[in-house]
Amino acid sequence: MIKTTHGALSAMLLLGSTALAPIAANAQDREVNVLLFSMPSTRGLAALADDFEAETGITANIDVVGQDVFESRITLSFTGGARDIDVVHTPVIQVQRWVEAGWLEPVTDTVEGLEDKDDILSGPLEAYQVNGDYYGLPFFAETGLMAYRKDLLDAAGVEAPETWDEMLEVAKAVDSDETAAIAMRVAPGQGFNMFVFPMLMRAYGGKFFADYPDDMTPALDSPENLEALNTYITLMNDYGPQGIGNFNFPEVVAALQNGQAAMTVDGTSIVSQAVDPAASQFADEFVLALPPGGPAGRSPAIAVHGLGIPAGSENAETAAEFIKWATSTETLTKLAINEAFPDFTRASVAENAEVQAKYAEVQEDFLDLRIEALNLAIGHYRPLIPTWPEIGAAIGENVNAAVNGQMSPEEALEAAQEEMEIILSY
Amino acid sequence: MRDTSTAFRVKKAFGYAMMLTFLAFSLLPVIWVVLLSMRPPTALFEPIWESPGAWTLDNIRSIARSDFPAALLNSFITAGSSTLLAMLIGVPGAFALSKRRSSNKFFASWLLLLLRMAPPVGFVIPLFLVYVRVGLIDTYVGLIFAYTSLTLPFVVWSMWTSFNQIPDELIEAGLMDGASLGRVLWRIVIPAARPGLVAAGVLSFLLAWNDFFFSLIITRSDTTTAPVAVMNFVSYASVDWGAIAVASIALTLPIVPIIVLANKYIVQSLGGAVKG
Repeated sequence: MIKTTHGALSAMLLLGSTALAPIAANAQDREVNVLLFSMPSTRGLAALADDFEAETGITANIDVVGQDVFESRITLSFTGGARDIDVVHTPVIQVQRWVEAGWLEPVTDTVEGLEDKDDILSGPLEAYQVNGDYYGLPFFAETGLMAYRKDLLDAAGVEAPETWDEMLEVAKAVDSDETAAIAMRVAPGQGFNMFVFPMLMRAYGGKFFADYPDDMTPALDSPENLEALNTYITLMNDYGPQGIGNFNFPEVVAALQNGQAAMTVDGTSIVSQAVDPAASQFADEFVLALPPGGPAGRSPAIAVHGLGIPAGSENAETAAEFIKWATSTETLTKLAINEAFPDFTRASVAENAEVQAKYAEVQEDFLDLRIEALNLAIGHYRPLIPTWPEIGAAIGENVNAAVNGQMSPEEALEAAQEEMEIILSY
Repeated sequence: MRDTSTAFRVKKAFGYAMMLTFLAFSLLPVIWVVLLSMRPPTALFEPIWESPGAWTLDNIRSIARSDFPAALLNSFITAGSSTLLAMLIGVPGAFALSKRRSSNKFFASWLLLLLRMAPPVGFVIPLFLVYVRVGLIDTYVGLIFAYTSLTLPFVVWSMWTSFNQIPDELIEAGLMDGASLGRVLWRIVIPAARPGLVAAGVLSFLLAWNDFFFSLIITRSDTTTAPVAVMNFVSYASVDWGAIAVASIALTLPIVPIIVLANKYIVQSLGGAVKG
């Protein structure tokens, strides 16, 4: 009865064609697209983008996004070969996997060409080396530290614990109805409970592998690891705040800042928030110290973040310039001054008077503690293998289940060992 | 005659009690977010009675200084444009589907329904790859087109049912009086289908406004929409709860007047009532 016209369709086509018009004019040579996930250092870096442009004439489009948003974007971009990112935030823990998947471009020439290469902390830098090539330059290295409420420990008549065994006793003495003795991350994840738990494992002499990297036989179900897990379970369940079984960093930080927990052992990015007067009610009472050790010594956690170039980047040259600038002494010094955390990766930054004064105000020996922890930390704190993200997740689930009473510690380690064997057999 | 027996009063009281319980249940999270948005970080997780004096506007100030207002504007631009585009194309399309006798109707309707049924993840990856090649990543046009793939089928389907309720005689009368088809659509059919039209417009705006997934995949810093921008307050080792609370309120507020103004039409449309 009624005749349709093709008007709607042609209107759509018209809109489509005009929309595509501006693309040709978009190609500019001196640009670099940078994708980072949000942390104080990266937000600070984005704020310095104009400095980079002033120095090099290159426009840096720095996108700082939440960690989940970051994961989705890079996965699509890398697997789809989109080449829309020139510089990518490269956590050390992902490097092996990304290199194996062919997602990263080597930056060996850039690294070797640096006049002041020796100034870069060698542990964090070497972690970026895979099969003789460098795949990134570090801009951030955080280490494990302990934070404790001196007022509460004094009131209980105890000293800060030097070992995890002492920690059990201190926790017992300090724990009260108002303030739990200790809050640590228990939420499962290679970057969550598996960031903190290996500090106990390694202190008791436990390992992931029989003899990394020579003998890669899983060695999780050892008496040392069991002792570590038992200590962790007792600390969390007997002396931790309510709901500890699901605690991740926001809960740990909130518990410290609001006086619900007297101690924690975690990375500098967590413990620094306990001593931050702008956010913590007990900033003045918290004291920072090295993490507790054990029969096998201390093994502070280490997390390193750097910048890499995705494979096939069309602006690899400008990307390399950006990475050099972002990890330079000058930029890292600015970050250490502008942001609240001392996680720089160059030794010379610690020599800057302004940096020294700033962190001495928080605690006289803050920077020294950090250097000491960095020296104690082993590079493969979390094993540097491509399958670590999966292995870490599997162990994390079982450790979490043990803390939450869903399985015994023995069962948890056995299950984790089995899952590890399966993952490694692929 | 009114029933004033005790039994009736008890029933009524019980009804009110139930209503208040449900009201509290659904409003408490909203109230909590409003309170969170005005608490300083040190008092965020404390009960109000423990620090009744701890209030701050810092969260609001920090949001105002952040990229979030720009993201809100992006949400408005893209959701608004895609709704407009979907209405421009979808309303005549729905009119044709409803009133034209064609053997392809069944096919067309299923095709549209399929688009609505397919989860976005099914076509967002090909869309992303095409967008990268043609340079539509991080452009308004790219996002508007993507949203139109959500809103257009919705507009067509809902307007189709609205138009079905308009008697053919009304259109025939208009045509017989010498009006063109476009004039009949504009002057007779659209005014008669106004509730459906408003409902389709508002609901498709909300569909695009609330989208997270498309924006996550195909936008970058220039065109990020508000739902994705909220996620950026969750960062490495810290979550800015105060900012998230303010951002959530800012994301909800613009919707309220739209819903209030269009409420009448939406209820009419969803209820299926047509006034002749």
